Amino acid sequence: MALQLMTEKWTGEISVVTIGATSKNGGTRSYSIKIGGEKSLPCLFKEGTLPNKPQVAFEIFDVTPNDWPNEVIKLYGKSVNDPLEWAQMCIQDFKAQSLCIRLLGAHPDFGNKSAEEEVQLIKKLLKEIGVPLIILGSGDDAKDNLLLPAISEAAKGERCLIGSAVQDNYKTISAGVLADGHSIIAESPIDVNIAKQLNILISDMGLPLERIVMNPTIGALGYGLEYAYSIMERARLAALSGDKTVACPFICFVGQEAWRAKESKVEALPEQGIIWEALTATALIQAGADLLIMRHPKAVEKVSRYIENLMTNDKILSPK
Amino acid sequence: MNKFKVTFLPDNKIAEVAKDTTILSAALSCGVYIKSDCGGDGVCGRCKVIVKKGKVLSQPSGLINAEDRKRNAHLACITTIHSDLEIELPSESRLELALGTEGIYSESENVKSENKISSGKFFKYSPLSTKLYLELPLPSLNDTTSDLDRIFRSIRKTQDFSVAQTGLSNIRQLGELLRDSDWKVTVTLGKINDTLEVILVESGDTSNKNFGICFDIGTTTISCQLVSLSSKKILGTKAAYNKQASFGSDVITRIIYSRQEEGMEKLHSAVTETMNQMIKELTIEHKVDLNDITCVVCTGNTTMIHLLLRVDPTYIKREPYVSTANFLPVLRAYEGGIVINPRGLLFCVPGVSSYVGGDTTSGVLSSGLYKEEGLSLLIDIGTNGEICLGNKDFLAACAASAGPAFEGSGVTCGMRASTGAIQKVKINAKNFSVTYSTVGDAQPCGICGSGYIDLIASMLETGVIDKSGRIKLENHKRVRDSEAGKEFVLVFKEDSGNSKDIVINEADIENLKRAKAAIYSAVSVLVKHMNFEFNEVKKIFIAGGFGTSLNVDNAIKIGLLPDLEREKIVFIGNSALSGARQMLLSIEASKKADEIARKITYFELSVDSGYMDEYMAALFFPHTDLNRFSSAKQ
Repeated sequence: MALQLMTEKWTGEISVVTIGATSKNGGTRSYSIKIGGEKSLPCLFKEGTLPNKPQVAFEIFDVTPNDWPNEVIKLYGKSVNDPLEWAQMCIQDFKAQSLCIRLLGAHPDFGNKSAEEEVQLIKKLLKEIGVPLIILGSGDDAKDNLLLPAISEAAKGERCLIGSAVQDNYKTISAGVLADGHSIIAESPIDVNIAKQLNILISDMGLPLERIVMNPTIGALGYGLEYAYSIMERARLAALSGDKTVACPFICFVGQEAWRAKESKVEALPEQGIIWEALTATALIQAGADLLIMRHPKAVEKVSRYIENLMTNDKILSPK
Repeated sequence: MNKFKVTFLPDNKIAEVAKDTTILSAALSCGVYIKSDCGGDGVCGRCKVIVKKGKVLSQPSGLINAEDRKRNAHLACITTIHSDLEIELPSESRLELALGTEGIYSESENVKSENKISSGKFFKYSPLSTKLYLELPLPSLNDTTSDLDRIFRSIRKTQDFSVAQTGLSNIRQLGELLRDSDWKVTVTLGKINDTLEVILVESGDTSNKNFGICFDIGTTTISCQLVSLSSKKILGTKAAYNKQASFGSDVITRIIYSRQEEGMEKLHSAVTETMNQMIKELTIEHKVDLNDITCVVCTGNTTMIHLLLRVDPTYIKREPYVSTANFLPVLRAYEGGIVINPRGLLFCVPGVSSYVGGDTTSGVLSSGLYKEEGLSLLIDIGTNGEICLGNKDFLAACAASAGPAFEGSGVTCGMRASTGAIQKVKINAKNFSVTYSTVGDAQPCGICGSGYIDLIASMLETGVIDKSGRIKLENHKRVRDSEAGKEFVLVFKEDSGNSKDIVINEADIENLKRAKAAIYSAVSVLVKHMNFEFNEVKKIFIAGGFGTSLNVDNAIKIGLLPDLEREKIVFIGNSALSGARQMLLSIEASKKADEIARKITYFELSVDSGYMDEYMAALFFPHTDLNRFSSAKQ
């Protein structure tokens, strides 16, 4: 008798979040990307459809990053000093499908740029580049409450993904995102309960759950990766079992964490950081990550190849 | 050795203490009570006092901020005395120990519970101590039975039990007493197990002057009732904060404190002082002679009973959490430091384990949980929440540390359910005006447990707070910033009874959220552990001294109680005290309590891996899993 594989029947599914609006949908993006929509656990193609493959976005800053290791910076060269140039390089030289810009320069400790300056930058980026955009605030709650609504308004109709909303500071951001037709990043500190609570709080503001992408907070390989993995797994299991309040796609800030590991900064082993970032990313894809924010073009290349193989060669995984 | 004089203002009380004494101990020594949740470890920051004059030395503390330094505020527990001092005690550091009578039962409930007893619906009337009027046959040459045997003989004619004991002091005075009183005497008989003890012999007929007192000794609140043992009537009810709160707000801190030098003595005298003061006030109010109180029944959690009897509670705290004694023999009240008739008896309601004490036993007794046909729950909401699940076939109990928030302690404007406590609240959804009712319809002075439940439910409903408990309302005269996050003003000082704004701040809400999460998750884990589902529970008894009534809908809305059909839920007030009173009036009840305590299976939550998960998920209004509270959804 042939071996019968056990298959689980899931009742829930992850919502689909679209990032970027084309002219057809009232925006100016050249295309849009879709994340989420899973009806099964990662890689278990036979238990339910996994319609959208994980996406990778390049992370860029509005100011010259001062804590990025040389290994990451050197490929970008001088373009890291100019956000537009940097963005164009990611797209043209490294085939970025989407971009994630962090407006660190608005942070009171890192330049304290005004909301108006940042609005002009975002407007310029939207005009000059066509890829879908993920926009992050400065990380300072008070500043982001001024900055993000302005950014959201400036990018109205472009269906950006804007973040991050946290439990202490979600109201102003949610209101802006809701009014201007974007989606939101809900960030929780490696805690399923808080992730869920934040989703409920945001949806209580009127922003539908289908426009929330969860940032579960992750640790890089060797720095709590397994903890992040199990939290994501728990959330995903709950979502697939029918809990709508956690049925949102995951965004994972892989580059930021991987390049903080001391193993990534060993000068004598320049490849090690790339491998560290790629490994962290692939492990998280297996945990259910839908959108990975990465830094090193070579790591992105490896991960993209991995995603391609994983999502097109499902025959290898399930013989029939 | 040098003694210094420390004057506490505004009380104007003076303590004379040695150099290097802490301000906290000096205050205690002259009867000034300062808040100290951590029991003097210098970590809670509740005991700030202002040094007006004199020299002190303080250990450095992060809890003293720039403003405190400006007003010369110090933490009383880590500041020592180095000269004569003048110290001002700010109101927020003062531990209120005022006595109050309201709030344990409302009038109507009082009558109801009395009826239950006098109709004999529960237990046969047979008080633990009875007074028997005897007209003894005179001795003659034909009847030379000794005086004592003469009494025994007359007692045997009316009693089923045999007399086992008489105190020597009674016998010593017997000869003269009998002859002086013309052989007409009243004997007080105490029932101990299945024998009788002659407690007291008095001249004349005093059989209608026999009183008993029952106590529920809570970690935060002590309540008691004076009962006439001859007429079965409740004469008066009182409640007061437990003075032990000066040594820490929870049982663990107090157990740690009991290990300090003289710690046990201080804890013991704090509780007995509170109790004796309550007894004294009751006797004055109801014109009862202390000597006519012949019996006391005490219930309370295991630690409280240990401390009352000066029994070492240390091992309650240490794994595997073992108490010294759960079943205690009948004692003399004076052995526990309780001042009634010097030969009066003290019964302690048997406990189940280290964290499920006699209060649970007496709650199960008075609620009748032990004879329910269907699966029932008893939830006693107190500083130590106790939960008992069962019916006539089995009983299982667990305890959860909820903190004193629902008893009105540890929250900014909290108070016990006494006169002036806001007990019902509603917020208008349009203009956020607040309507409320207070205990005794007095001017509002604070908020009690049931008021907090209503308040949070109403704040959620009207969007003043979000489901995580943060204040969301902006740009409104009732919302402003405070040290403990934003605060919402219920009553402005113009309308309050103590010329202070009555507020709730985000830290209070957090406190209440933790308390409700501890109770709910304990209930949920116990039910799950016994392999039941919530919907199989047929009846829920809610006990606790947090108000005269409880709005069940609101308690469910905030996630304190599971979302079940409202008619299944009954609020029974202070069930521990009712149970103790039933025991006072019936030896059968007391025997039943023994049986119940032996029958309850204790379930230790701290070893259950699911408890922490449940607790974390319950830290949300009503719950992170909204499906469990489908009726509370908008």
